[in-house]
Amino acid sequence: MDVTSKTSEVPEEPAASAATEKVWRAGRLEPMPIRKLPDAPPSLHILGPTVFLVALGVGMGESYMWPRLVLVFGPDIRWLFMVGVTLQAFVLLEMARYAMATGESIFFGAARIFKPMMWFFYVAAILIYMWPGHLSAGAAAFQEISGIPWQVSACVALIFVGVLFSMLSVIYNFLEKLLGLLIGLLVVGTSVIAAMVGSWDDLGNTLSGMFAFGYFPDKAMTAAWFPIVVGSIAFAGPSGMQQMWYTLQLRDSGAAMGAHIPKIRGLRAAGEAESMPSRGFMFDTEDPAELQKWKGWRKWVTFDALLLFWGITMLVTVSFTVLAMSAARENPNVASLIEGGDREAALKAMSDAFASAGSPILGTLFFGFIALIGLNATLGLFDSFSRGQADMTYYFVPGAKRFSMSRLYAGFLWGVITFGILILLFGPADGPAGILDILAFLSTFAMGAYCVVLLLVNNKLLPKPIRPGPVRNLIIGFGAVFYLGLLFYCLFRFGVVVD
Amino acid sequence: MADVKQFAEFSVPAATVGAAAGLIAGGLAAFVGQPAGWAVVTGLGLGVPLVLLGAGYAVLVALGKVPAGVFAPAAVYWVIGFPLALLVHSVATEWVVTGAPGLPPEPWKFLAFRALVSMGFAIGFLWMHEQIGRHWWPRILDHNVYAQRTVQQYVHLAQALEARKAATGRGRKKKLA
Repeated sequence: MDVTSKTSEVPEEPAASAATEKVWRAGRLEPMPIRKLPDAPPSLHILGPTVFLVALGVGMGESYMWPRLVLVFGPDIRWLFMVGVTLQAFVLLEMARYAMATGESIFFGAARIFKPMMWFFYVAAILIYMWPGHLSAGAAAFQEISGIPWQVSACVALIFVGVLFSMLSVIYNFLEKLLGLLIGLLVVGTSVIAAMVGSWDDLGNTLSGMFAFGYFPDKAMTAAWFPIVVGSIAFAGPSGMQQMWYTLQLRDSGAAMGAHIPKIRGLRAAGEAESMPSRGFMFDTEDPAELQKWKGWRKWVTFDALLLFWGITMLVTVSFTVLAMSAARENPNVASLIEGGDREAALKAMSDAFASAGSPILGTLFFGFIALIGLNATLGLFDSFSRGQADMTYYFVPGAKRFSMSRLYAGFLWGVITFGILILLFGPADGPAGILDILAFLSTFAMGAYCVVLLLVNNKLLPKPIRPGPVRNLIIGFGAVFYLGLLFYCLFRFGVVVD
Repeated sequence: MADVKQFAEFSVPAATVGAAAGLIAGGLAAFVGQPAGWAVVTGLGLGVPLVLLGAGYAVLVALGKVPAGVFAPAAVYWVIGFPLALLVHSVATEWVVTGAPGLPPEPWKFLAFRALVSMGFAIGFLWMHEQIGRHWWPRILDHNVYAQRTVQQYVHLAQALEARKAATGRGRKKKLA
């Protein structure tokens, strides 16, 4: 793995086809040609691809699972949330390192190390994400507001998403704007509501609980609660494979070396798509000017990770925890319902508590936000899943290059939509009960596995000057041990997977 | 006078965000079965201060005192502005309910809590401000100097991005003839 000279074998790059050029050999697959690293954006602008991760990440974990744990175990349990989200912020930065240095997805990186690893993610993604269960919470909240049965609104939403993404010329630009506006509204609204119904004491308890490191009550170590606690840690911030998909959003937003890779287009404009290079690129890490630009990019993504990802995730959970605490104060019945674990009943009770404390519209508004969170997650999830599968199919399924990346994307999108509608109408939305445990296991296992992949790709495939330092490696290594350790401990000690 | 008009026009996106937040707050009171006046005053209690403070922020951007779209100055601005707006809201609500204006109990705790929550509001505000602004400012470009200046900043940004694309060859057609 060093920068050497060879004759390029890349037919779709006319400028490079004849010349002898510098390449970077990374792993077993095609070497990466050296190209210029673009300049980092001139100012620290607030919009970045992290908006996708926020849209995906701020979901049920933040709005329901953690408020529930706080009501059961008290605010001090939140230190585990703090550890989970902080770990995810570091994972985000390390995912970005590989994607920005090469313009390749983390899946491609995994294949460079060991192809079966990539195939594991390929199969796991289909198994975990083809079930439309994630639509149910948002659609159920919408049913509370509008009275429209949730299966109907979920099916309409599915078709709407499919048509919308097929009509767009460049999907990324539109989604970034739409999710940006929706999340802006969510953040402004959540802040205003939390400021109106919360109190200093609720917030004080919630915040101080984040630093109660080591607090772990005996009740949390029981077979009933330990899997839920582990599941909630895994669901703090983006869960499952969402961080891996973030590398595709980075590439499509043109971040760093991603600028050399064309964007995915909607089906209607798929014919106009530029041809996709057969691998990523590397920049000259021996050139101090290039390294300076790299620093600019790292600064840009760090800002995104800290402010947008960490900040918004924290804000939304803190706000929802404050809301849950004030709802439980208003109506003690809420606490027992939330503890009982019936999500729909608990959310409805919280909504009722707000309605009686403030006004009926406050209850409606609460459901409105749950529906908004569901909509964000659905938009992000369908796009990301299709992007990830299209990426792996295009590069690694023999013969798939006949279709453009945009067409494969559309294929996966409509595939998952059609399957989703069939399941919503005729089957179990979360997946057959018999495999639910396997899906929960796979989802957490994928998180431990991608920490291992990150350590390998960033330390083995990248040139020395841009590899992560020992502290970063230690943190990601801790992540692998943390996720896999908790998962297997849960499995062997209690005989159950995470919940 | 012309300046005031220009400022007002430039501030529309910021005021819209303030109004949206006010509407959310106003909506909370609008359907409680209380007299309409009660709901309106409560809604306006938060909406008006947020609109005014939003406009104040936009004026700072227009004058070049604050760079557009950057977080830190917005956070500092709202850490003071947001608690004040909620204080006004609380005083106004108290006034309507009891007939006499009054501070909330433990006013310092009240303000400190809202100051912390303001960080979230600042992110959301800045985000939406930019989203709405980039549709609004180009419309008033021909007669509003502040919009011109701000759009120029964004054009400069876009040019830098374009130059980046050109330098990396992303813009050119890669298909073989």
